[in-house]
Amino acid sequence: MILPRDLLSLSLHNLFLHKVRSILTSLGVIFGVGSVIAMLAISEGAKQKALAQLDALGIDKIIVYSKKPPVEAQQQNSNNTQLVNYGLTTKDIGNFAKMDNIASITKLRDSRQPILRGLNRLSTKLAAVDIGFMTESNSKMISGRWLTPADYENRSLVCVLGENAKRKLFTLQTNLLGKTVKVGKYRLRIVGILSNDVGANYPEVGDPNDIIFIPSTTMYSLLKNYAPDSTRIEYDLSLVKVQDIAYIDDTAKRIRSYMEKAHANKQDWDLVVPLDLLKQREATQNIFTIVMSSIASISLIVGGIGIMNIMLASVFERRKEIGTRRALGAQKSDILCQFLIETVLLTTIGGVLGIFTGIGISQLITIYADMPSVYSSWSIITSLAIACFVGIVFGTYPAWKAAQQNPIEVLRSE
Amino acid sequence: MSQSDILVRLVNLKKTYFSGPLSVPVLKGINFEVKKGTFVGIIGTSGSGKSTLLNILGMLDIPTEGKYILEDIEVEKLSDSELANIRNRKIGFIFQSFNLFPHLTVEQNIEVPMLYARVPAKERRQRAIELAKEVKLGHRLGHKPTQLSGGECQRVAVARALSNRPAFLLADEPTGNLDEKTSIEIMKLFHALHESGSTIIMVTHNPALESHFDQVIRLRDGLTEDTVGEVTQ
Repeated sequence: MILPRDLLSLSLHNLFLHKVRSILTSLGVIFGVGSVIAMLAISEGAKQKALAQLDALGIDKIIVYSKKPPVEAQQQNSNNTQLVNYGLTTKDIGNFAKMDNIASITKLRDSRQPILRGLNRLSTKLAAVDIGFMTESNSKMISGRWLTPADYENRSLVCVLGENAKRKLFTLQTNLLGKTVKVGKYRLRIVGILSNDVGANYPEVGDPNDIIFIPSTTMYSLLKNYAPDSTRIEYDLSLVKVQDIAYIDDTAKRIRSYMEKAHANKQDWDLVVPLDLLKQREATQNIFTIVMSSIASISLIVGGIGIMNIMLASVFERRKEIGTRRALGAQKSDILCQFLIETVLLTTIGGVLGIFTGIGISQLITIYADMPSVYSSWSIITSLAIACFVGIVFGTYPAWKAAQQNPIEVLRSE
Repeated sequence: MSQSDILVRLVNLKKTYFSGPLSVPVLKGINFEVKKGTFVGIIGTSGSGKSTLLNILGMLDIPTEGKYILEDIEVEKLSDSELANIRNRKIGFIFQSFNLFPHLTVEQNIEVPMLYARVPAKERRQRAIELAKEVKLGHRLGHKPTQLSGGECQRVAVARALSNRPAFLLADEPTGNLDEKTSIEIMKLFHALHESGSTIIMVTHNPALESHFDQVIRLRDGLTEDTVGEVTQ
């Protein structure tokens, strides 16, 4: 038997002899592995992005929110008055608080006041929140301070601007602390700028960065006529934090059954459990991965068959070399190993090139389709192992064929 | 000469090819002995069974009947892997069309049999350089066979055959692809090797080479017609 090191250099030498052919041969594997890498990177990126978004909503929370009921439901319940009452009520929240496993409830109420810059109405919302909102929404202050108990007690005319709200109102101006925002006839003093960089996005309410926050007490005392579109809502959003995440589904079920009873036929609320969404996402993700990997494996099989074909042709072409080697003392196993290692090297080098191709493809997707790509060492090792495996599977037959060449016949056929 | 001086012994060796119901006897009972250090010529026309005998002597093929004893090894008892091992260590093949590896340099070509004998790289290189010098190609080590003349190619092949210090050299029409002048040169090389102690078995159809051999074995119709012992030049 030939020494392994010599075997390796022998096989490498043969591949480098036919550089163009080797590269063309391994194209199938290059693209196969490339698509595996790109697929894994994109799906991993999408997964992490989704996870981060859901995580931002808080996996220990149940989000109960008000939504505008469909027209039929409105007509049934409104008794033809202009004013529409809908959504979460103080009574609902009070009942949630009595349930087991509830740690805290943080509420938000949209004032529905138009926020103007000059004559333009901005998409910014003015919302009254409980004091716990900053922490519960995983936001942080980038300057100034959050609302204080004193603000609540004194019903102060103060506000905290979300980062985007600040940009819309004041563009690039700095040192806004102490300046005021005019809402209706009131001027609200800016005490802080808040940023939410975890990507929280609440149903019906949206991104905390787009909100101007005021203490809930201030709203009740000063901005009473807050419903210009003839609707009245007590709360838009409540973040119900549970004590034990293991029983979050039970708690959600209890809230749901309470709300179904209390708001029968109104369809003016809904409930989201981020943890459940997370599990659903994972399930869809798995299906996506299975589908994508079957497509990738088809391309690898096709690539492998291509390689087998070329290797068989190469065995035929190199009969004289094989015969001579056998006459000079090569064992059948030496010939088998030589050809098998050639194929495995071919697919493995193809795999390495494929990894770069895959990174290239996923980077293009990231740039042009704005989908993040995440590479894991796991995906790189897996695809190299797959490339290697393809080489073994499709290289065995040509290598066996090479080893079976009868040296007498091939030496005679000159 | 004593018994131990006998290197190769063929006893009533037969080879029959079977193809379906047909059996074609090619070698019909070959008997001869080759002593160490002799230069033997096996001469036969095409169809005489020359190639088959060459294959058997070279251990690429096994006889159907009879015995082939090399030193004290009985060939018919050996497995495919053992045969490869003996080819590697005991037999130095020299082909009519050289059979060099076109993409390897002179040095690498000479190293090939040592590769299969698991000789370490450093030692291989040393031996290859030494052998290249012996066949007067020390200045051609890095050349590829395509850059060499026919005579030079055959000298590389001879060096390659010698690399594992075989029991004998087995040359198949080594001058068949060469012109007259180069043929003489190659035959001179064989004589030089012979004088330094090598055993050489040369298979040829060319009766003109007869005068070169110590011992001539004529093949006709699968039989050794006549063994001329100890013909001296």
